[in-house]
Amino acid sequence: MAAITEKTGITRRKVHIQGNFERRAFLFMRLSGIALLILAVGHMLIQHVLNSSTNLTIMFVAEQWNSWGWKLFDFLLLAFTIPHGINGLRNILEDYIHNKTAMKFINLLLLIFVVATLLWAGYAIINFDSTPFMN
Amino acid sequence: MASLALTVREAFRYRGRSGQISWIAHRLAGLAILGFVVIHIWDTANAFFAPHIYAWSLALFKHPLFALGEIGVMGAVLYHAFNGIRITLLDYKPEWWIHQNRSATIVWVLFLVLFIPISLYMFFSFMGHCSELAAQGMSCWTIPSLSDFPPGMFD
Repeated sequence: MAAITEKTGITRRKVHIQGNFERRAFLFMRLSGIALLILAVGHMLIQHVLNSSTNLTIMFVAEQWNSWGWKLFDFLLLAFTIPHGINGLRNILEDYIHNKTAMKFINLLLLIFVVATLLWAGYAIINFDSTPFMN
Repeated sequence: MASLALTVREAFRYRGRSGQISWIAHRLAGLAILGFVVIHIWDTANAFFAPHIYAWSLALFKHPLFALGEIGVMGAVLYHAFNGIRITLLDYKPEWWIHQNRSATIVWVLFLVLFIPISLYMFFSFMGHCSELAAQGMSCWTIPSLSDFPPGMFD
């Protein structure tokens, strides 16, 4: 409701201010994007061009994950890629789905998916033991 | 859904030129990468949870269709990365919006200059792999059977 205060003549209007989430998501997309320029493009060039998938074996993976440096690289790649990608998908879906209830439900599913993927794959990277594969 | 059909129709009708083409390419490349990455991550986690299934999937990914997809993902990552940096820069400095058109062209040129040699390299190294297999009387079109990768094969 708009109401004019007698003294100042300023119109005060109660507006619904969107929370900080969208602002933070916007910023996250830019910052993680810069990180992914190094991480994702680097990963593609190293693992998919310099090393070819045609001679990729689990032994090669075990050799890389024998070093904490590679584990950290792949963990960071995981931690930035999935939230960046799923938030991008959310941005696209919100352009086409105007039903608020449906969108709330989809957002919940996407959030669960992000958390589940990070936990499942993060657990795998951290706990992977190279010894059985290296001889 | 009606708005999705509208978008597809207007993508051809609306004359948004460079900005609109970049916008569509950025979204499509992003979706393509996401689809690939989700499979790739859950598959790679199998290296820990089910190594025999991971070994089978690595064999499957040597199939020509996956090799072609890999080249596609390479292109999508390169374009999405360069255009993403362009978006970030323009969001950060609105006074650069006058260079909208030129910056979109720079991204396409940079993308092509890198992607053309890289994709050719990936394509020919895959062809080399196929002819190596052919020399041994095998085919790269063979789909590996999961039964050749039994549980406990790495114990």
